[in-house]
Amino acid sequence: MHLDSAQEKLLRGEGGEAKQLAMEIVTGVGDAVGADSLVPIVSAHVLAHFSSLHEAGIDVLEKFAGAGGKFAVPTSVDPASIDLQNWRSFGIPEEYAKQQFRLCDAYAKLGGMRCWTCVQYQVCNFPKQGETVAWAESSAVVFANSVIGCRSNKITAGMDVACAILGMTPRFGMLNDEDRVAKVAFKVAAGDLSDLDYRSLGYCIGKSAGSRVPVLAGLPAGVGSDQVKHLGAGAAAAGPVTMIHLPGITPGTGALRDATKGESVEEIEVTRSSLEEVESDLTQTTELPDLVAFGVPHLSAGELGELARMLEGRKLKKGVKMYAYTSSQAYDMAGRTGIASTIEAAGARITHSTDAEISPLKRLGFDVVMTNSAKLAEIVSAEGEVKIRYAPQKQIIDEVCA
Amino acid sequence: MKQTLRGRGLVPGQARGEALVSNRAFTFAHGVEPSTGKVTDVRSDIRGSNVRGRVLFYPFGKGSTTASSWFLETVREGNHPAAIVTEGVDLSAVIGSVMAKAVYGKGIPVVGGVPRDAYSKIAAGDRVEVDAGSGEVSFGR
Repeated sequence: MHLDSAQEKLLRGEGGEAKQLAMEIVTGVGDAVGADSLVPIVSAHVLAHFSSLHEAGIDVLEKFAGAGGKFAVPTSVDPASIDLQNWRSFGIPEEYAKQQFRLCDAYAKLGGMRCWTCVQYQVCNFPKQGETVAWAESSAVVFANSVIGCRSNKITAGMDVACAILGMTPRFGMLNDEDRVAKVAFKVAAGDLSDLDYRSLGYCIGKSAGSRVPVLAGLPAGVGSDQVKHLGAGAAAAGPVTMIHLPGITPGTGALRDATKGESVEEIEVTRSSLEEVESDLTQTTELPDLVAFGVPHLSAGELGELARMLEGRKLKKGVKMYAYTSSQAYDMAGRTGIASTIEAAGARITHSTDAEISPLKRLGFDVVMTNSAKLAEIVSAEGEVKIRYAPQKQIIDEVCA
Repeated sequence: MKQTLRGRGLVPGQARGEALVSNRAFTFAHGVEPSTGKVTDVRSDIRGSNVRGRVLFYPFGKGSTTASSWFLETVREGNHPAAIVTEGVDLSAVIGSVMAKAVYGKGIPVVGGVPRDAYSKIAAGDRVEVDAGSGEVSFGR
């Protein structure tokens, strides 16, 4: 990878220890993937959950922070492994919380935007079309490339912090025009799509596309940003997908042929039976759940409002907990607008700054989790500690509420 | 008799150890228990083996982008492989190894571009020497 003289100086340590370590990481990655240069980014997004970063992750962040490192660009921070405000009332052990808070303290020192959300693009991190970012969080990367039309690779833990410290990222993959051309076309023909169908559709694309960039035709007009968010999350959970061309939505992709640059590609039809196959793949049991989890990725304020409407006048059955995972910002808003009180009156809870797939579900005593999130279902079922039921939101509520 | 394979050095360093060979996509994330070094991934063909001190071969990485941190945690615990050799480029191994050097002062060379059919000739128990400077991987009894 070619470095200019200013970058060479950073690598030699002339910009301080934090930038030197960051340069070692990004040049190591850049050389390994055949990147040609380092390019500036307008924002970064970094991972923050103790359940995957472990003590080693704390050591890395504390090393950066201890060396006086500061993020060079606006850097939003992903959710933690615990609700940072109400963790005690969710039964999180003190020792576990302490480790998470060490990670949080390091991000405060580094100057992170402590939004603790995986939907930063709905909350506080707003790049524009054509700009380059370095985001971790696979679902957000799909949204960035497919909906916003900015450019991001899926940035790995450790690399995310290095890019944020430098305000630069190696140019490869999704930063190059030629790597954004669609190589496989999906056509959905499954009638009206439910909340679950968008997630299953994404999952189906992620499984079949492999490392090819997909284009998806056949979505209904007026599909919402929340629906696209869950579609992308399902895809990224199932495979290496970092972008889905959505004709009419993705900037520069008016029609399918724009995505493929006029080349003919393999076409795959997604039918009702393809979606039902995903449902059966992601369902491990028919038992009554002890936890219902909504919001992987985080629910928007609008989705919380929708959940409140569905729960109005209902009451959760004994023995079942229901958590709605959201950003700290949407949590605050729900508290101020009556949404939270409606949800709580039904016996459910809103939790923020954390998410289900990165929290210690087994340790908290949950054995069967029911969700409409393909991402949660995929991650939890791969771990094998907790059994999953995968169903639409309305069906879940009808089953677990009196 | 020694045989030598040639790949591309991704993270510099030299190491030697006993071979541990997987022919399936590999991940440290939820796939290797950092406190022991044991492979726990239910989909792995070397489940139950221990990566500690071994020269670990696998074709590609897979799964969560947090794998670099899981790898680094095995380093912190002292249960890491001596070196990693892959067919493709596993960014998690590259990043984990760069951070291991910077944070714990441990050099774990990473070599990419060694085809699976070449390294699958290596038998369990073979001694392997890795030189990521030259990209050479030598093995034999």
